[in-house]
Amino acid sequence: MLDQALESLKTYEWGVDPKAVQAIQDTVVATHGDAAARKSLEGQLAAALGTDIPRAAKDTLCRALKTIGTAHSVPALAKLLHDEQLSHMARHALEANDSPEAVKALIGAIDQAPKKIKIGIISSLGARGEGVPVAPLAKALSDKDADISTAGALALGAIGSADAVKTLRSAKVTDANWANPSVKIAVCDAMLQCAENMLAHGKKADAKAIYGMVLKIGTTKAAKIAAELGLKASA
Amino acid sequence: MKTTRRKFLSTTGTATAAFGFPAIIPASALGNADRPAPSNRIVMGGIGIGNMGRGDHGAFLGKKDVQYVAICDVRKGAMNQGKAKTDAKYGNKDCKAHDDYREILSRDDIDAVHIATPDHWHAQMIIEACRHGKDVFCQKPESLTLGEGSLMVETARRYGRVVSGGSQRVLQDYKGTVIRCWNGSYGKISSINVNVGPMSKPCNLPPENVPGDMNWEMWLGPAPWAPYNGKRCSGSFSTSGNSWRSYIDYSGGGMTDWGAHHFGGATFAVDVRDLQPNEAVLGEIDGKKFVSLKYPNGIEITHNKPGVGQMHVGRDNVERAGKEVPKYAGSGGISGDFIDCVKTRNKPFRDIEYAINTMAVPHLATIAYKLNRSLKWDAGKQAFIGDAEADRLRHRARREPWQI
Repeated sequence: MLDQALESLKTYEWGVDPKAVQAIQDTVVATHGDAAARKSLEGQLAAALGTDIPRAAKDTLCRALKTIGTAHSVPALAKLLHDEQLSHMARHALEANDSPEAVKALIGAIDQAPKKIKIGIISSLGARGEGVPVAPLAKALSDKDADISTAGALALGAIGSADAVKTLRSAKVTDANWANPSVKIAVCDAMLQCAENMLAHGKKADAKAIYGMVLKIGTTKAAKIAAELGLKASA
Repeated sequence: MKTTRRKFLSTTGTATAAFGFPAIIPASALGNADRPAPSNRIVMGGIGIGNMGRGDHGAFLGKKDVQYVAICDVRKGAMNQGKAKTDAKYGNKDCKAHDDYREILSRDDIDAVHIATPDHWHAQMIIEACRHGKDVFCQKPESLTLGEGSLMVETARRYGRVVSGGSQRVLQDYKGTVIRCWNGSYGKISSINVNVGPMSKPCNLPPENVPGDMNWEMWLGPAPWAPYNGKRCSGSFSTSGNSWRSYIDYSGGGMTDWGAHHFGGATFAVDVRDLQPNEAVLGEIDGKKFVSLKYPNGIEITHNKPGVGQMHVGRDNVERAGKEVPKYAGSGGISGDFIDCVKTRNKPFRDIEYAINTMAVPHLATIAYKLNRSLKWDAGKQAFIGDAEADRLRHRARREPWQI
């Protein structure tokens, strides 16, 4: 059944009945707990990803690798990160892949990525949360492009670690970006998220300091209300 | 993966009572003598004015204490119809039509928005709306994934926003069961069964030409790219392949669509709206699979348990002291409840946290069915226990450039 489904990938264009490739997902479920079978399956899926098959077929493979991907499939997925059509689905798999190699692949793809794809990669690093190095996100935050700067801020907020706080506090956001409401909203939100994380870990004084900063720099009513609520909670 | 900040939420006090901040209502609305003064009116905009959105638009437009000023839809036809209906109501041309919701969120004159887009947009829009200081009424099912749920609750609490889900059926459709559970006549309750389905499925429909009046990129938003097909994006209530409600990238299928109502009724009836299950146990009777969602307080919600009727309540029938059944605030059903709470800053009947706790039930059951195994769930950490693979199914990467 799996062999047949893998064969069907070659002609799996939009419009073909998904039942033709259903065996891939079935095999994902059936091989749970069988390390050898999983390794073999991951290898087959990663190899197929490198072949000349339709976009819908590669989408299907990325969806399966989201569930079972390890360091072994990272190289095949990383090759797709700069592909305008497939970058998102590669991230679909890499964002969930808990190997350090997946993080390395995402970070390694940032610099050369076109703007939209870069934002996606930054977003995936944020979604992975704790354990992601903040340096590439700090760089994004300081980018002269307001959308990339916004993405960097939101990712740092999602991570919410002590390093993220440090980065946000010393961030060199360009003057032009700081005048952009989207950047300011994102930076304030990121700081608020970091403060919540500190409160959750009992660090009231640290949280209070951040809320105080947001109250100072936040220009929107929403940010000020949030900072005041936070100050109340950290009293 | 992400840590949860729910510990923080439970310490702010916003989850249990009033939000503590007065509504910010700009005195920008125009009106006449039989309506509240402009400064007491809620200025609203609507995002997604198709099937359910049309109904919500009508409900809010009909309220004297609402001034409706903006419409947004990715289909020009729906957008223009919404504007025309609003303008006709007020006898002016003031309603602004937008095809990008971010324009509505960035307007300082708007206090609240209602959202009735397909499900894959809900988290993105709710979170952004809260960051912009808007209160939100969002159609059910409020979340598409488990991971989105806690992010929505966290953001709503962070900004002290009133965020209401939109299942009017929770209070209206299951009254008999709810009353008997709450008034004590059922005695001690052990379980309730919900029959609903199907789950959503993969979509690989063939490409069709995008209609001239539609912004397909915006319809897809954070969902994976796919070619336009009328059935892929139809707002029909079908879950058998003829609408977005049928497909994984946009919906959980009947399991979450009707499930939001049924599970909402069930969690309300047995009073577990402030909890999430800690186990999803996959069972089988006569070859038919079902899931039991077990709560830390011993209550069990079963899904599609063979031989058990819809909303059947397991109980001992030993009468106990009853308690008052919660109801909507204000007047005018669930939309009136929302408007009242925007003014009072109280928690709405389907507060986002209740909604997300409800949606956790079908999301957990769906993952158990998909992986074909029982799962343990740590609601505090918002993570599965000892099942890293199930953890991967809590989140989905958002298509660039969408980020929350």
